[in-house]
Amino acid sequence: MFRYYLQLGFRSLRRNPVLTLLMVITLSVGVAASMSTYTVLHMMSGDPIPNKSDRLFVPQIDTGNMIGYTAGEEPDDQLSYPDTQRLLASGQGVRRTAIFGINSAITPERADMAPLLTDGGATTSDFFAMFEVPFRYGNPWHAEDDARNSDVIVLSRATSEKLFGDVDPVGRELKLGDASYRVVGVLGEWEPLPRYYRIINGNGGAFAGSDDFFIPFSAAVRHEKRNSGNNNCSGDAPAAGYAGWIASDCTWIQFWFEGASADDQFVIKAWLDNYAAEQLRLGWLKRPVNTRLRNTMQWLKHLEVVGRDSRIQAWLAFGFLLVCLVNTVGLLLAKFSARAGEVGVRRALGATRREIFHQYLIEASVVGLVGAALGLALSFAGLWLISKQSGAMAAVARMDWTMLLATVLLSVLASLIAGFLPTWRACQVRPALQLKSQ
Amino acid sequence: MLKMTRLSKIYRTRMIETHALRGFDIHVREGEFVAVTGPSGSGKTTFLNIAGLLEDFSSGNYLLDGVDVSGIDDNARSRLRNEKLGFIFQGFNLIPDLNLFDNVDVPLRYRGFAAAERRRRIEQALEQVGLASRMRHYPAELSGGQQQRVAIARALAGTPRLLLADEPTGNLDSQMARSVLELLEAINAMGTTIVMVTHDPELAARAQRNVHIVDGQVTDVMHETAMRAVERIDASMHSNA
Repeated sequence: MFRYYLQLGFRSLRRNPVLTLLMVITLSVGVAASMSTYTVLHMMSGDPIPNKSDRLFVPQIDTGNMIGYTAGEEPDDQLSYPDTQRLLASGQGVRRTAIFGINSAITPERADMAPLLTDGGATTSDFFAMFEVPFRYGNPWHAEDDARNSDVIVLSRATSEKLFGDVDPVGRELKLGDASYRVVGVLGEWEPLPRYYRIINGNGGAFAGSDDFFIPFSAAVRHEKRNSGNNNCSGDAPAAGYAGWIASDCTWIQFWFEGASADDQFVIKAWLDNYAAEQLRLGWLKRPVNTRLRNTMQWLKHLEVVGRDSRIQAWLAFGFLLVCLVNTVGLLLAKFSARAGEVGVRRALGATRREIFHQYLIEASVVGLVGAALGLALSFAGLWLISKQSGAMAAVARMDWTMLLATVLLSVLASLIAGFLPTWRACQVRPALQLKSQ
Repeated sequence: MLKMTRLSKIYRTRMIETHALRGFDIHVREGEFVAVTGPSGSGKTTFLNIAGLLEDFSSGNYLLDGVDVSGIDDNARSRLRNEKLGFIFQGFNLIPDLNLFDNVDVPLRYRGFAAAERRRRIEQALEQVGLASRMRHYPAELSGGQQQRVAIARALAGTPRLLLADEPTGNLDSQMARSVLELLEAINAMGTTIVMVTHDPELAARAQRNVHIVDGQVTDVMHETAMRAVERIDASMHSNA
């Protein structure tokens, strides 16, 4: 009977086409508004590395002094250089990495090309394996390169193509700032969304921008590269010069641990508390032990990667869908009420109330299916408009298969909800009354 | 086939109680063609609705083809309507956006017949009413008489035991009315029991028995033709003896 009801549903679209069109438009506009805003929210709040996000951890240590101290307040999001060095050497987890941003000009080999102003990151060799970074050419540098402060560089694909064209540049030299670096690798397509590994100070924000290159952390320090972003220092000013700065408690480095499993969060947190207690005893830390260790999704939530505005917009859009649903209920009531006579005939010919209920609910869902088709088209149009707002919006205003399917399901579900009351009313028709009044 | 005993139907509102049927007795035997007549408001349609299991009755007994229908649930009523009854209405009650084939198909769908069986029955029923060549037409493309024929085909397709007709010729001119009535007589001749509500005495005169209702009660009148038929049967029995 399902096929029969489905046929009847499609056939009934042609009956009273104006009413049908109104229903489809109402439903599709509501679905499109809610799904386009929800798609943006979904893309913003997605898990950028689902297979291991629960075992990638960001540590925070309270390195402030006692001036203006409030117990339990949130420690800084970044670490100081001395803490970073000790955490890198801690052996905790299976991998550890640190990263800070660098702005620098790259001078190409070709004399006819102007230098490129680039944003990149200084990190350790574990970074690439930890974040599963794909390579188009070559490989990451090795741990030995970290230890030897080697002047090696990994380029993004776009930077490589700008500098060398579409060829493998591994082994070629380029100048970053004043120093010469040997290219060891070129990244493949890698655009995690959000750009979780370096949200703080990442050029373009959490959803747009990219790193043009990566060089070893140790080499960057050797070349006295300054951090291109936030640098928070407590009341004690650092000593003069680069050496004084990196020896200070100023925080400017983002740090990540990779655990063997999600349970390592407890192990590493315990170690971090012990570490902070030890550093407090040694006088490096001034405040009572106050640390955090968040996994990837906790970290994104802490940084409020998805803003309150985005959530409010999504709620408003779903509120609008509700208004559209109420309108659709009214239109379906009008459509089904006009067919009370048919219900009477069908009941007289042997249809049970349940069969009438199924028929009309399926008919409502057919309206939902057609609404889904139009709703999808309108959703794409809505996302296109959203993407025009900014680069960050362009990055997240994209519909994936999940959201595409969700749009269709939402439309059908919305029509079923809207169709419930009119269908129930249709089932209450007293056939005897209808048959005589026909 | 249809037996109602001391049946009553009371419509109640907060202020008024209306006795549509009271102490209503009727017994329609298998193969009969019974006309139910009476003035407007006498309870003819109420009787037909109760007979067709479209309405409940307030008290009394109703046996339909030997089945006591008092207190049965909606599903069982629907099943009985579908399997045992056929309806013909004054206003035809065809579904306008279904063609003739699909209109006749409606009760068969609820019966759960396979596609091939449904097709066979639909074609046969439309053939019987002389509209087999127009099965892809829509009701609006037919005359009133033709529409009523389709309604008859729809009622017949499920091979009902009892055909209930409510003023089947009420919306037709005399020529079309005659042809519809001839069709009903032919159907009855093939063994289907027919109960027809009408206020047209000429039409009622064509039935084998005429049940007259006044104020929700029955006056059972045997029709002249039937009496003559009984006399003929009696005479033949005597001569054989």
